[in-house]
Amino acid sequence: MKVAVIQFPGSNCDRDTVHVLKNALGLDADLVWHNEFNSGPYDAVILPGGFSFGDHLRGGIIAAHSPATETVVEIANEGRPVLGICNGFQTLIEAGLLPGALLRNTCLKFVCKWMNLQVENNNTAFTCSLKKGSKLRIPIAHNEGRFYAEEEILDRLESGERVAMRYVDDNPTGTSRGITGIVNEKGNVLGMMPHPERASDLSLGGTDGLKIFESMVEWARC
Amino acid sequence: MVNQVFSIEIVISNKPQARDPEGETILRDLFHKGGVTSVKEVRTGKLLAVKVEAANEEEARNKVVSMCNDLRIYNPVAHSLNVRVRA
Amino acid sequence: MLVGDIETTLTPEETQYARQQLGREPSALEWAMIDAEWSEHCSYKSSKPVLKQLPTTGNRVLLGPGYDSGVVDIGDGYVLTLHIESHNHPSAIDPYGGAATGIGGVVRDILCMGTTPIALMDALKFGDITRSDHSKWIMKNVIRGIADYGNCIGVPTVTGEIEFDECYERNCLVDVACLGLGRKDELLLAEATNPDDSVYLIGGSTGRDGIHGATFASRTLAADSEKERSAVQIPDPFTKKLIIEATLEASRAGILRGCKDLGGGGLTTGLSEIADKGGSGIEVYLEKIPIRESDMSPIETLISESQERMLLVVKRGSEEILHQIMRKYGVTYSRIGGVTSTCAVIVKRSEQMLASLPTGFLANAPIIHRDSRLPRVRKPEAEPPVPENLGKVLLNLLASPTIASKEWVFRQYDHEVGIRTVAKPGEADAAVLRLPSGKLAAIKVDGNARFCDLDPYVGGASVLAECCRNIVAVGAEPVAFLDHCQFGDPNDEEIFWAFSMAVKGIADFARAISLPCVGGKVSFYNQDEDTGRAIKSSPVMTVLGIVERPEHVTKSALRKDGGAVVVAGKTKRELGGSEYYHLLGLNGVTPPALDFEVEKNTQAVVLECIRNGFVSACHDCSKGGLGVALAEMCVAGGRGATVDLRNLPRDETRDDELLFSESNSRFLLATNEPENVLNALRSRNVPAATLGTGGGDSLDIILPHGRLQADLNAVQAAYATSLERILEPWQK
Repeated sequence: MKVAVIQFPGSNCDRDTVHVLKNALGLDADLVWHNEFNSGPYDAVILPGGFSFGDHLRGGIIAAHSPATETVVEIANEGRPVLGICNGFQTLIEAGLLPGALLRNTCLKFVCKWMNLQVENNNTAFTCSLKKGSKLRIPIAHNEGRFYAEEEILDRLESGERVAMRYVDDNPTGTSRGITGIVNEKGNVLGMMPHPERASDLSLGGTDGLKIFESMVEWARC
Repeated sequence: MVNQVFSIEIVISNKPQARDPEGETILRDLFHKGGVTSVKEVRTGKLLAVKVEAANEEEARNKVVSMCNDLRIYNPVAHSLNVRVRA
Repeated sequence: MLVGDIETTLTPEETQYARQQLGREPSALEWAMIDAEWSEHCSYKSSKPVLKQLPTTGNRVLLGPGYDSGVVDIGDGYVLTLHIESHNHPSAIDPYGGAATGIGGVVRDILCMGTTPIALMDALKFGDITRSDHSKWIMKNVIRGIADYGNCIGVPTVTGEIEFDECYERNCLVDVACLGLGRKDELLLAEATNPDDSVYLIGGSTGRDGIHGATFASRTLAADSEKERSAVQIPDPFTKKLIIEATLEASRAGILRGCKDLGGGGLTTGLSEIADKGGSGIEVYLEKIPIRESDMSPIETLISESQERMLLVVKRGSEEILHQIMRKYGVTYSRIGGVTSTCAVIVKRSEQMLASLPTGFLANAPIIHRDSRLPRVRKPEAEPPVPENLGKVLLNLLASPTIASKEWVFRQYDHEVGIRTVAKPGEADAAVLRLPSGKLAAIKVDGNARFCDLDPYVGGASVLAECCRNIVAVGAEPVAFLDHCQFGDPNDEEIFWAFSMAVKGIADFARAISLPCVGGKVSFYNQDEDTGRAIKSSPVMTVLGIVERPEHVTKSALRKDGGAVVVAGKTKRELGGSEYYHLLGLNGVTPPALDFEVEKNTQAVVLECIRNGFVSACHDCSKGGLGVALAEMCVAGGRGATVDLRNLPRDETRDDELLFSESNSRFLLATNEPENVLNALRSRNVPAATLGTGGGDSLDIILPHGRLQADLNAVQAAYATSLERILEPWQK
């Protein structure tokens, strides 16, 4: 399985993600500069965290307009797994692949914290190796991670099982209904605010993040 | 028709339902704490002041509204858009 | 003084010296360049003679002070670089921009060596936030500035220290340090040694922001310093991130001969320092420098401190490769000139010569020997009575801003990016980062203005000692340090005396423990011109340590299976300079004593115990004394403790002295092998005793003359929520 991790100007977590894919999971992963990205050889794509284009105007909006993201949309439409982490999640929303909006945290501060999450939907490319309801411990680090949509839209997302992950027992950013991960209808495109690449080593605090990437491998096999 | 350059202001703010914690903080922590009780509400937003070529003011404004929609300058799920000609 | 038409900070002696050395009258541009380069901030003209005392060599030191960053060899082909910056004056009037651009500045110095910035640390000092809205405003915005900038460039801020005192009300201190990692064979020395190499200016454009920044930092702050807003620079972390990527790629491509960041004094200092190091000259063309406003004068262009600019010395013939790299990242670049064989910094406009100053002359300001004088002796204060309710005092101490949990601060800093942070903020006495070689780096910053104010010699040494203790407590051996000396007006003889004594104390202790200084900064003029109030002597130390193996990393939480609590070191009747006294409105007369040999020995034995696997948690005793240290270990572990302090090594202490004295050379250790630990300590003459065990939901301390009991929930609430309650009382 060949995975592309796309690097935009201002991405920060790209090398971390590639490191985990290669070293913790033994996967064939490439760090691809956005201008040089073409879909051909890749089975899956990851849009990593960071501050692409300085988060100017709004997190993810400028990256969403880039040719690289157009290619990502094509890949997503073909059913290949696409993961957006933090800034990557913002980009997927701005690219129209996922619904809703990500607004500034209600506490008005950046929050860097390990969170307890619950898997709400395990029928996705990035949670299929987990059971529904299983608990994960993965850190967040962002200023604009408050998921928002009007109540009827949120109801539809919930009943349509589009909520992939939710915080349990703590919600420092004020995200609606604790939502921290959203998936598309087909289950192959997932956006999540927590950083699985940061939960990939016991010495750093835990390895629950590996399960997200392991799911990606499993999904590709099915 | 000769094109002129018009100054248009784009204001992007959170929809009322989406809560504006920054506005709330400024109201409570700056105005009210500072004794200014006559201020009843504060909403924050982002301002883009653009200069755009068009035949007339209305065309300029309409062009900008289109751009905001096409380029997703605002996210219609969470934001309200206000496009006005600069006086 | 006015020189010709130019307003400068030069003294009559300096202008006379300049004319003598050059043998002619300098041009207006040349005066401006001399003024910037010879400002205290850039030249260290007052402090060089004093700083000479510091030991700077060691078998792991590749580069000591005098370069952009100190360089430490950590084996396996890797090096670590270390640098500290202060942005005190800008932050006092624009806390957000001043702090943010401070990060920008310190990161550039690490980049200049060809190393990757991997961690940031901040040492901050603010006024009394329990009383002053102004200080609250300063603090919130400084933190936000550091957070926004550091988070955006993707470098984790992993540790820090914040002190609060009235003396910083109008003169906050904002220090940011940076740790870099690189390969020894890829190190870049900022030396322009080959004539005909090209000199490039990359990054942001040169504008009018930041004019006179260096001279601004070399004067006291006055009420109308608000007008100095032009001296404050605008942060642009996105551009910085692109510059980091582009510079490192250029460096790895082997096309750079040197690299210099533009900070204080702008192009003037950048060009002169690069040339001076290489023993060559540099010639630049004014018209090649990208400027933001078309009507900028040559002076403005040469001294502007616009942010996010670097000078690159590119090997002749590699220019096209550089252009490609810069274009890839969208970084603006311009070939502004070249290296020459004449030892002069030459500025031309087309072929018209505007300035020509010998590099040695420009880069080496004449030293100023300042007078010093012992300050008046402090009046002794009446000893306060022992309080009835020591539990209440403990809670008040835990809630006092200097001691209270800094979680409100570090949650705003991305401390995880880079996936290296093994010991995170709040978990241990120092931050610990894993390195590619399998070893780990431990890093900490520390200060103690209350000690230094009472006795700068002992205080200065104590700050270094405490910082080393924190490094040892996580299982690391200290290998190098940075000193950052922050004082008021050096023209004040008492202040200059304090500076000299502080550096002497630091130097003497550093020599005693064989710890080399690899860099540092001096920041004078931290003084309010209108009131004449100077800050307390505020040296800040940054210590780097190496943990040999991951198993040695030790955190401070008292865990369920953590075992017994042991104290190493003697507690004395030393409340002078303590946080406890500060709460009572007292200062004391002398700070705790520091016995260099005892400190050195205690640290060595504790580190051995950790390396032998005897220790499950470790925390040094410092601010707030043993009582606070114990409470902190309990809060971290989420469990109480039952201890008996009657038999611990001590003078004939009162109960408050026993709990809150800040005597040096003490550690608390949690261990499942107390006998081994006690034997190891005692056999090396370190006084030690078992205090008790962790467990339960209260802190239960038996004292010689009474007992302290505090509910764990109350302890946690006091410690953990204090800053938030002060700064954001409306939350929750």
